[in-house]
Amino acid sequence: MLNAARLHIIGRRLLQAIPVVVLSTFIVFGLLKLVPGDVAVTLAGDNASEQRIAEIRELYGLNQPFLLQYGSWLAKAVQGDLSNSLVSNEAVLTSIQRCLPHTLLIVALALFTALLIGVPLGIAAATKPGSWIDSIVMAIASLGVAVPNFWLGMLLVAFFSLQLNWLPATGAVAFTKDPWASLSHAILPALALASGGVAEVARQLRSSLVEILSSQQVRTLHAKGLPPSSILWRHGLKNVSVNLLTVISLLANRMLAATVVVEAVFAIPGMGGLIVNAAMHRDFPVVQGVVFTMVLIVVSLNLLTDILYSVLDPRIAT
Amino acid sequence: MRIFDLGQRTLRRRDILALIGGGVAAGALGLPALAQEAKKGGVLMVAAPANPSSLDPATGGAGSDHSILWTMYDTLVEWDYDTLKPKPGMAKWSYPNPNTMVLDITSGIQFHDGTPLDAEAVKFNLERNRSDQRSNVKPDLASVESIEVTGPLQVTLKLKNPDTALPAILSDRAGMMVSPTNIKALGTDTDRKPVGAGPWKFVRWNDNEIIVVARHENYWRKGRPYLDGIEFNIITENATALRSVVAGQNDMAFQLPARLKPVIERAKDLAMVSSPTLYCIQVYFNYARAPLDNLKVRQAINFALDRETFVKATLGGLGEPARMTLPSSHWAYNKDVAGTYPHDPERAKKLLAEAGYKDGLEMTIGGYTDQDSVRRGEVIQDQLGKVGIRLKFTRGTIAEISAQFFAQEKKFDLLVSAWTGRPDPSMTYALGFDKGAYYNAGRTADPELSKLILESRVSEDLAKRAEVFAKIQRITVEQALSAPLAFQFELDALSSKVKGFKPNLLGKPKFENISLA
Repeated sequence: MLNAARLHIIGRRLLQAIPVVVLSTFIVFGLLKLVPGDVAVTLAGDNASEQRIAEIRELYGLNQPFLLQYGSWLAKAVQGDLSNSLVSNEAVLTSIQRCLPHTLLIVALALFTALLIGVPLGIAAATKPGSWIDSIVMAIASLGVAVPNFWLGMLLVAFFSLQLNWLPATGAVAFTKDPWASLSHAILPALALASGGVAEVARQLRSSLVEILSSQQVRTLHAKGLPPSSILWRHGLKNVSVNLLTVISLLANRMLAATVVVEAVFAIPGMGGLIVNAAMHRDFPVVQGVVFTMVLIVVSLNLLTDILYSVLDPRIAT
Repeated sequence: MRIFDLGQRTLRRRDILALIGGGVAAGALGLPALAQEAKKGGVLMVAAPANPSSLDPATGGAGSDHSILWTMYDTLVEWDYDTLKPKPGMAKWSYPNPNTMVLDITSGIQFHDGTPLDAEAVKFNLERNRSDQRSNVKPDLASVESIEVTGPLQVTLKLKNPDTALPAILSDRAGMMVSPTNIKALGTDTDRKPVGAGPWKFVRWNDNEIIVVARHENYWRKGRPYLDGIEFNIITENATALRSVVAGQNDMAFQLPARLKPVIERAKDLAMVSSPTLYCIQVYFNYARAPLDNLKVRQAINFALDRETFVKATLGGLGEPARMTLPSSHWAYNKDVAGTYPHDPERAKKLLAEAGYKDGLEMTIGGYTDQDSVRRGEVIQDQLGKVGIRLKFTRGTIAEISAQFFAQEKKFDLLVSAWTGRPDPSMTYALGFDKGAYYNAGRTADPELSKLILESRVSEDLAKRAEVFAKIQRITVEQALSAPLAFQFELDALSSKVKGFKPNLLGKPKFENISLA
């Protein structure tokens, strides 16, 4: 899989990622500075006076020119030092190392669930387009897209945690500490997060599969006498795999973003909670650190997707 | 719907707690008497509403820190739960003359690291609090001229001017004693490694996740604390915090919004505690410029507001209509001015007409984006709209909108926000109404008011001080310097195994009396 040509491509893509990272952190930094209010007000506390706020700006270098502040952050970041939170003084790297696994676990579990449910539904709908199965699947799909995941999350908690007492209502446990407890905490948030994904996977799979199955090529296969199951598995799904991969990749990116809301509902100390809290207080080292990490993840995901494209369909030149 | 109807609670402890202080009433109703010896041991799981700004009392700043800080730090002075009258804590205070305050420290107190809490340690703390570059409590100790050790357990403060607010100030951040050994060892890295002399010592803090404290074996109050430890699970979303208590993952959630009251009532085995606090929801005025520089306009707003309806509509009745910046249970409350602004829309319209706004006027107002703030804003908008005051709302985060209103920008004529209250009322007036104060958006003040604020710190006698505060309140109310709306009650949900919890007027829970059944 990793031949010389692909290694070359990976190298080039990683180089391309550098300006993306720099630009995105720069834009976020700029936005944080553009909106009124700054971290000095938070740091000065409830008894703030204007004089104290000015002192704190001086103390933390918040009155330095914008570019200088960004430059000094970037210079440290490229050396692997993501600074400390201005508000709580925790090292940003420590926060991220602790929060990221929680978020990744939920996203991975949600993605898995979306495929586990979405793929069979999509296939069922596509093999009998227009039938009652199709209608039901499409109804479920529309509902999945329409239902807000935080609301679904609350319903899930009300039923599975408060009513049946099967699963914990809030919090998260590190996978390395206790895998079982970790999974039981992650199931409900992952289900809430997966609802939109199930719908997306089922719908996309159905539409591309319907297109393939009604093509002349498949008609010929039928004429040749191939059994329908063989047509579906060997010819149908193989042809939609690239589409499916696109959906999965987009879904993964979107779920990473959607965890912000789901984490709040389930009180999961993940990346979403981290960035929201930091942005509220204009704690820019933390915001920058989270953005930096998320951009790296998204860039890597996209790179992986591109490589898989060419594996699935050698005609795609990467 | 069955899912949400989880049965009837058997205990209605809240009703009792809200009225009287626990013990007697509980006995009368045949409930297990609170006088019974509290059981020692167990770890209390608490849903805490915010990540602390710092665990160093001097460098932090958020009002939500206190409940966590008090577990690790004892204060030199404490207060009465119901009235906030100062009482001795780790030290007794006296004023040999108005410009001298003497602190006599209880003997035998040790910090968690074994360092003795003596006169040297207290001096070290007070010096640090009033002069360290990173200290946020410098203004609290501005009246202190010098600090001298006058005995192994005695510290004498020489004051620039008489300051009888100091006992209350020393019940807050400035009076939380940190171990000098720890500060000297860590330098500026003290925010996350606290060492105090409180009932519990610090174990662990993960930002936005958890804070763990464990029993201090050498705590100076014998037999205390009851709990072996406390785990604060930081859950910023209050509905989620409450769900964690309903599900049994946490034993307690505090400072919940009134809208969650029905959820607590429906949950089985949960006790609800609700009691008055100093937390005052109010409309701030920028009275340095038109149109609010006109007294009649400010008064018109106060007459136009229907506080009873406001409490019902926004707090589900869990509040007290506010007539001034102190609630009626406070020792410095002035009942003579309480009736100044009854709900009287006609009077409001008349005052507006006299001020030259016969056809009403438009004003800009800032507010926050959370659910409760938006609802408050809508009620105010409606009430003022009825007398012809059209409000143009701008909403944003607390940091953003507050800074726009209070700092240099001076956006908006009004701001709907809250005053979280201070242990001493003189702090409230000095920070919110004095000349140049940050929370006085217009920065101007009646010289008479400034004079009275200083005067309020002269006498040690609370009755005499209350007289001065009565005058201060007369000015702030008659000149309509703000529009106080309601004192929000504290609302806490407790699992049935939590015993002995008592709310306080500051509205920031202390856990010292809690034991687990």
